Amino acid sequence: MKTDTGTVKVPIGEEKDFQSAEIWARVTGKAVYGSDFSLPGMLYGKILRSPYPHALVKNIDISGAESLPGVRAVLTGAGLQCKKYGIAVDDELPLALEKVRYIGDEVAAVAAVDPETAERALEAISVGYENLPAVYDPDKALEEGAPQLHEDFPGNTAWQRDLRRGNPDAAFKEADLVVENKFTIPAVHPAYLEPISCVAVYDPYNGLILHTALQSPDSVRAIVARVLEMPLSRVRVIGPAMGGGFGGRVYGNLKLYIISSLLAVKTGRPVKLELTREEEFTVGRPMVSASIKMRMALRRDGKILAREADIITDNGAYSAQAPWVSKTLSERNDSVYRLPAVRTRLRLVYTNKVPTAQYRAYGNQAANFATESLMDMAAGELGIDPLELRLRNCTREGDTTVHGLQIESCALSSCLQEAAKEIGWGSKKEGRGYGLSAAIHANGSLVFDKNFRGSSALARLELDGRVTIFTGEQDYGQGTHAAFALIAARALDLDPQLITVQSGDTLSSPYSTGALAMRQTTIGGRAVQLAARDLREKITRLAAELSGQQVALEKDILAGTSGVPRDFAAVAYYYHTLTSGLNLTGEGKFVPGPADYDESGYGNISLTYSFAAHAAEVEIDRATGALTVHRLVAAHDSGRIVNYRSACGQVYGGVTQGIGMSCYEGYLFDGGRVANPSFADYRIPTSLDVPEIVPLFIETEDPAGPYGSKGIGEIVMVPVLGAIANAVADAAGARVTDLPLTAEKIYEALAGWECAD
Amino acid sequence: MKKQVIIFQLNGEPAEIHIDPAKSLLKVIREEFGLYGTKAGCGKGECGACTVLLEGQAVNSCLIPAGKINGCSVETIENLSRGEDIHPLQKAFAEKGAVQCGFCTPGMIMSAYAFLKSNPRPQPPEVRTAISGNLCRCTGYKQIEAAILAAAPEMDKENKG
Repeated sequence: MKTDTGTVKVPIGEEKDFQSAEIWARVTGKAVYGSDFSLPGMLYGKILRSPYPHALVKNIDISGAESLPGVRAVLTGAGLQCKKYGIAVDDELPLALEKVRYIGDEVAAVAAVDPETAERALEAISVGYENLPAVYDPDKALEEGAPQLHEDFPGNTAWQRDLRRGNPDAAFKEADLVVENKFTIPAVHPAYLEPISCVAVYDPYNGLILHTALQSPDSVRAIVARVLEMPLSRVRVIGPAMGGGFGGRVYGNLKLYIISSLLAVKTGRPVKLELTREEEFTVGRPMVSASIKMRMALRRDGKILAREADIITDNGAYSAQAPWVSKTLSERNDSVYRLPAVRTRLRLVYTNKVPTAQYRAYGNQAANFATESLMDMAAGELGIDPLELRLRNCTREGDTTVHGLQIESCALSSCLQEAAKEIGWGSKKEGRGYGLSAAIHANGSLVFDKNFRGSSALARLELDGRVTIFTGEQDYGQGTHAAFALIAARALDLDPQLITVQSGDTLSSPYSTGALAMRQTTIGGRAVQLAARDLREKITRLAAELSGQQVALEKDILAGTSGVPRDFAAVAYYYHTLTSGLNLTGEGKFVPGPADYDESGYGNISLTYSFAAHAAEVEIDRATGALTVHRLVAAHDSGRIVNYRSACGQVYGGVTQGIGMSCYEGYLFDGGRVANPSFADYRIPTSLDVPEIVPLFIETEDPAGPYGSKGIGEIVMVPVLGAIANAVADAAGARVTDLPLTAEKIYEALAGWECAD
Repeated sequence: MKKQVIIFQLNGEPAEIHIDPAKSLLKVIREEFGLYGTKAGCGKGECGACTVLLEGQAVNSCLIPAGKINGCSVETIENLSRGEDIHPLQKAFAEKGAVQCGFCTPGMIMSAYAFLKSNPRPQPPEVRTAISGNLCRCTGYKQIEAAILAAAPEMDKENKG
């Protein structure tokens, strides 16, 4: 058995506590976010939404709205020529044509001189609806005779997957123990603090410009160009500052971008559309809810033989990325442990509810909740310590997992041991519950867009000797730009303070698939590293040419004998005059080879993989079921850490989101209506809700990432759910399998257990 | 509602507007005075992104009608630093990793500012209570708490100096 190469490192290195200068605009209130952005002559758009979950649109009368003073445009679906579009499947139109499919579906849009006039215009539109039977429960939506949402998707199945690896039937027959349960996870919202907004500008000379902050501006740009049938070069996205993303702004709210664009084209004026917080919850895109029936076969010695899962994910009325989230949910977690056999069945089902998309970690956290709960159930039945059971089964360096992932760096067993040690696994306190959980997350997906697996970057030498990095990788606080400055600084031997990273404009930035799949530090960082190296090589070569002698570059000083330019500025100016105006520029193109995988998805689908193990310590009030999370230890193998302070920030923030999802977050529905569309009713963690969080970095040297590093942004959230669920089960002596773990559910579980006792 | 003349102090200077008194202080600050450092996260007093000081007290400006500010002093994030002087709180937020997306930051800093003025040597639990009305989705609040604790002695020194 291979042992881990990792070592524990407490984050203290000041050299790895770098913040780029863009931080100052944010602390002084000077950063301009999308919601702060406006232009002269700008109009305000508003959207009329369906009040019914499922209805035919019989007629729309817009004459009253059109005749209001100050109204510049009124749009309905009938007036548009757009084809259906989508992200994973094409199932949406910018505005409803014949039918609405959820409460909030876009029916008409207006642009007016101010928000109040736009609001009055909406009130002046009358729509005739004919109600249709609606379906809210995905199990019912799959039944024969259920109301059908989309003609193109009979049986309400948006996407499905049936997957088998190895021989699960034989494994279950051979097993000494089978544990099984059903787990439910509600829809959750990324709840970025700034609601999404967009200012669209159109003129025939410049084409269309969208001022909106996106994690993947290039992907949105391509979709908007396709829907509006505009040449791609006529669409440009410029990003203001972004008030949080967490996956929710990869594609953001496509409807908003498309409708504001249509209004801008129609009026010839800039048009601003923004969501209210309530709209964020009711028409923004939460992550799919899931119901997971899972069973696991084990041998007496704790060896896992097989795992089976039957999963239903609730798509809501339209798909966005729900198929991709469902795919990750259905398989990624299988590679945490050495599973010889797997059978998975997943159905993504249309219902007349809010459409769904994605959130940090792409559903991997939902699968973690189910699997890790079963692991502890099995440990209990077998009389094996939960830590020991995990160590006997966990994936290790050199493994090829059940889905064909090739693990070249992995400190998962060390993460488990260190997390357990730090939480006090061997010296548990009386009256407290303890839980462990493990996770893997793909780090730089090669299959998100098979044609764009890598990233590219430009490193431009400015005339004063500073360096500007142009990248398509967006930073909205997760620290990508600071990490890139550090990587480039190391490659160039230059002070990172002298490096500026630019990514906000599709006209000047290289293309990128976006801030997703934990690809930025590894894949984007490699491109930056290559660009900086290329620039360094060119600088040294030009310095030699300029001085007619050998030149070495050390600590940003060009060293040679007399007559050698002393700094980068001299070389920059030399090249500038030589070319009559160009800047010396290094190019970095990092293009990983194609992922080797078959039609069933078997293969190595990512550049590399990050690992984590979390341990939780909780307490339960037995009189009320109230849960207190006291401590959470987060041990991470994210390779060499590029920037400790921001890596810690990712751990603190991601763990806190995991705590929210474990303990109280989740959509509530009243029929098709979202019953908790506000921060008062959809509670996210406050400063009083966060326990002590201990980040531990078990640093491996990854062969693929820049300077041995791997990603961290998404995996931080994944193991929290299983760790807390297991700690609650340990404290309560009974298991809650329905998230979130509210006092009410814990109380019921306690009561059931105490009766049985 | 009928417009009224409202006279108040904004960031230490006299201000006068003719406005619907039901309009929120948040909209007044942003739309009438162009001070966009104060952020709008929910419009219902649930997130704290719009926190400003009203008569020295931290308030959600989205909940304060303009009619209520007549004769009052209002202080926004733009007033904390003048020119190149960076307020100790802002410096600590930048240096301690307390800022990720930064959207909650101005409101968070204003809450911390009001709190440290009344409690210059706080204990960590007091800091957590003081910012419990300001939601942050990025940071888990840990580095925010550290920044406020680090800024406290600096700010105290400045106030005494």
